[in-house]
Amino acid sequence: MEGSPDLTAAALPAQPQSRVRTVDVVGHRNWYFALSLVIILPGMFFMVTRGFLLGIDFAGGTEFFYQFQRPASVSQIQSVLSADGVTGSVQAASKATYIIRTGPMNPGQQQTLENDLEARLGPINQSTKQINEVGPSIASETVTGALYAIISASILILLYLAFRFRKVQGGWRSGFQFGGSALLALLHDVFVLTGVFSILGEGLGLRVGQIDSLFLTAVLTVVGFSVHDTIVVFDRVRENLILSQRLTFEQVVNLSIMQTAARSIITSFTVVLVLLALILFGGETLRGFILALLIGIISGTYSSIFNASQLLVVWRKLQPVR
Amino acid sequence: MQLVLSWPIRILVLGLLLFSLFVDGAGYIYRITNHYPLTGSVPGLPPNFNGWQLYVHKGLDLAGGTQLELQLSKFPAGRDRATVQQQTIDVITNRVNALGVNEPVVEPAGANHDRILVQLAGVSTTQAYNVIGRTAQLITTRWAPDPSVTGGPYPGYRPEITNLKSDMLTGANASLDSTGTQWVVNLTFNSQGAAAFSQLSTAAYSALSTCTAAQATTCPQNHLTEWLDLSQTDINNWNTDVGQVYRPVAQGGKLLTDPVIQQPITGGQAVISGSFTQQSAKDLATLLNSGSLPVAINVIQSTDVGATLGLTSIQQSLAAGLLGLIIVIVFMIAFYRLPGLLASLALIFYAGVALAVFKIVPVTLTLAGIAGFILSVGMAVDANVLIFERFKEELRAGRTIGAGVEAAVRRAWPAIRDSNTSTLITSVILIFAGSGSVKGFAVTLAIGVLTSLVSSIIVTHNLLAIVLNFGWARSDSLLGVHRGRIA
Repeated sequence: MEGSPDLTAAALPAQPQSRVRTVDVVGHRNWYFALSLVIILPGMFFMVTRGFLLGIDFAGGTEFFYQFQRPASVSQIQSVLSADGVTGSVQAASKATYIIRTGPMNPGQQQTLENDLEARLGPINQSTKQINEVGPSIASETVTGALYAIISASILILLYLAFRFRKVQGGWRSGFQFGGSALLALLHDVFVLTGVFSILGEGLGLRVGQIDSLFLTAVLTVVGFSVHDTIVVFDRVRENLILSQRLTFEQVVNLSIMQTAARSIITSFTVVLVLLALILFGGETLRGFILALLIGIISGTYSSIFNASQLLVVWRKLQPVR
Repeated sequence: MQLVLSWPIRILVLGLLLFSLFVDGAGYIYRITNHYPLTGSVPGLPPNFNGWQLYVHKGLDLAGGTQLELQLSKFPAGRDRATVQQQTIDVITNRVNALGVNEPVVEPAGANHDRILVQLAGVSTTQAYNVIGRTAQLITTRWAPDPSVTGGPYPGYRPEITNLKSDMLTGANASLDSTGTQWVVNLTFNSQGAAAFSQLSTAAYSALSTCTAAQATTCPQNHLTEWLDLSQTDINNWNTDVGQVYRPVAQGGKLLTDPVIQQPITGGQAVISGSFTQQSAKDLATLLNSGSLPVAINVIQSTDVGATLGLTSIQQSLAAGLLGLIIVIVFMIAFYRLPGLLASLALIFYAGVALAVFKIVPVTLTLAGIAGFILSVGMAVDANVLIFERFKEELRAGRTIGAGVEAAVRRAWPAIRDSNTSTLITSVILIFAGSGSVKGFAVTLAIGVLTSLVSSIIVTHNLLAIVLNFGWARSDSLLGVHRGRIA
C-alpha cells in the first residue's frame, strides 16, 4: 500500500484504490444527463398532451371481474351492458374471466347487472368474483392525497439530508446542495416512471400502464429506493472529502461513485430478482405495480450513479462553497 | 459498535427470536400440546393466550368479503354530527351483527363526521347493503274496503297505513309466550303510541259487530296488521304484489303478524306471534330496536372479493415471497460465501420476527401489504451488502479480519442509517396520507425496515464475530476476497 504510485491511494491509506477500476463518470456527465432527457422528454410530452390512463380509484367508476362458467364473449357481455343502458368497456382476462369497467354503480345497480348477465350468459362463479366501485368524490380525494404525500415526502427527505450533510465543508448551504441533488435525482425517477406509464397507458392503450393507488405506492417506494442509492454515494463523498483533502471535488465524487457502484448494482439486482419472482407468481392485479417498481428501481440505480453526484458537481460549480 | 457485540444485546436478540418463534408457531404449539392433528380445523384455534389472538389478520382482498364506504347526508338539524355518526354506527353494527360475520368492522371515517367504513368478511356487497341499508320501519295497517281488490287474503279490502308509527316504539324484545312453547316479540309503545294503538284496537274490536257471525274469523276490519317496511307503493300495487308482500318476513315478504283483535289494547303493549324460532324472534327484536337510520346513507366506495380469489392471491404471494427469499439467499451465498450464508440466516430471522410482529400488532395483511413485506426483504439485504462490500475493501486495504469487520460495520452505518431513515419517512407519510391498500403497504414496509435494521446490523454482525473465532472460517475463499492480488 505504502509504495503505491497511485495518487488517490496515497491520499487514502485505508482505501483499496488499486482494485477500483476508474472510469470518468463525472467528466462525461453531459452524456448521462442527455440519456436521461431522451427518456424523460417524450414521457413528459405524453403526460402534458395526453395525460394518463386512470384506474378507477383515481377516475371513479366500477370494475367487475367476472368468471363465467359457460363460454362467453366480449361482444355478448357488451350487448347485455347496452341492453341495460350501461356504458362500459369489456376486457377478456385469463381463465374465462372478464373485466367490465363502467361508471359508478350502487350495489343495487351492480346486482341488477349481475342478474342480467347470469340470465343471458349463465352462472357467474361467485367465489372468484371481484367488484370495486369508487365514487367520484373519493377519487378526487385520492388524487389530492397522492400529491400531498409525494410533495411532503420530498420536502422531508430534503430537510433530513440537509441536516445530515450540514457538517460537510460549507455547512447548511452544502447540506442543501447534497439534499437538493438527491431530490433532483429522485424527481428524475418520478418523471421517468410517470412518463413511461403515460406512454404505456395513454400512448399504447395498455391497461398495465394505468395510474391507480398501487402505482402511487410504487412511485413512493421508488422514491425511497432512489434516495437509498443516492445516500450511499453521498455518504462516501462525505467520508472521502475528509480523507482526501488533496483531491478536487470532482475527483472525490468520481472516486466515491466507483467505490459504491458495485453495491448499488448488486442491491438493485437483488431487488429486481425479487420483483421478477413477484411478476411470475403474483396475480394480474399486481402486474402494473411490479412493472412500475422494476422501471423505477432501474431508473433509481441509474440516477444514483450517473445523475445525482454529477448534479452535485454542477451545483458546486454554480454556487461554490468557499 | 462494542455495544452490539455485548452479551446483553445477544441475549435480547435471542429472546426476541425465541419469542417470535413462539408467536409464529403458536397454532402448532397449541395443536401439539393438546394432541390435535397438525392440519385441518381444530377447536380453539386461533389460539387465545389471555386475550392474545395470535394469528395473521387477513384483509378483505385475501379473506374475501365486502368493504363499503358510506356517505352520510341529511343530518338532522341542530344535532351534533359526531353523535349522529355514532348513532348511525350503532344502528349499522346492530344490523350487521345479525349477519353473524366474524369480526365485522364498522368505524367512523371522513373529516366531517360524514362517513362510515364497513368491512364484512365472507359477505357479498349486495347482501351487506341489503342489511345495512334496511329502513326497518314497523308499519301498522288496518283493512279498508276497496272493491277493486280482487285477490289476496281479503278480496275487497286493501291495507291502509295508520298513524301508529315506528318511532313511537320504545322497545322490542323476544321471549317465550305464556304457554312456554312459542317464541314471540313483545312491543312497547310510548304514551303517544299507546293512545294510537288503543284507538285502533278499539275500532277494530268494535268492527267485529259489523261482521256477520260467519265472517267472524275472517272479518278483515277486525284485524290490525303489523308489517316490516311496507311501503305505499306496495299498497298501490296490491293486486299484483300481494303474493310477495303478504308473506312472512322470514320467507322474503313483509308481513309480521295479522291477528284478530279480540279486545281493545290500552296498555301500549303488543305481541307479535307467528312461526318464530328463537333466532328469528331475536333478529326481529334487534332490527326493531335498532330503529331507523338517523341520516340518509349512500355507498361511495365498495369492494366485493370472492372467497377463492383471496385464497389464490395468498397462494400466489406466498409462492412469490418464498421464491424471492430463495433467490436472494442463493445470490448472497454465491456472492459473499460465508458472510452471505450468515446474512441469509439473519434474513430468515428477519422474516420470522416480522411475521410475529404482524401477528402481535396486529397488522391486517392485504395484497399490497404482502408486496411491501416481500420488498422489504430486498431492503433487508441492502444493509448486509453495504457491510460486506466495505468488509472486502477493508481486507484488501490490509486490515486484519477482526478489524475489517469492525471498520466495515462502523463505516457502513451512516449510509444504512440515512437510507433507512428516508424510507421510514416515506412510510410514515403513507401511513397517514395514504388510503386503504397504500396504508397497508406502508405499515408492512415500515415494520420490515425496522426489523431489517436489527437483523442486518445486530444479527449478522454477531454471527460473523462468532464464526470468525474459528480458524477454518478465516480463509480468503470462504470470505470471498482475493487479498493476494493486492499485496
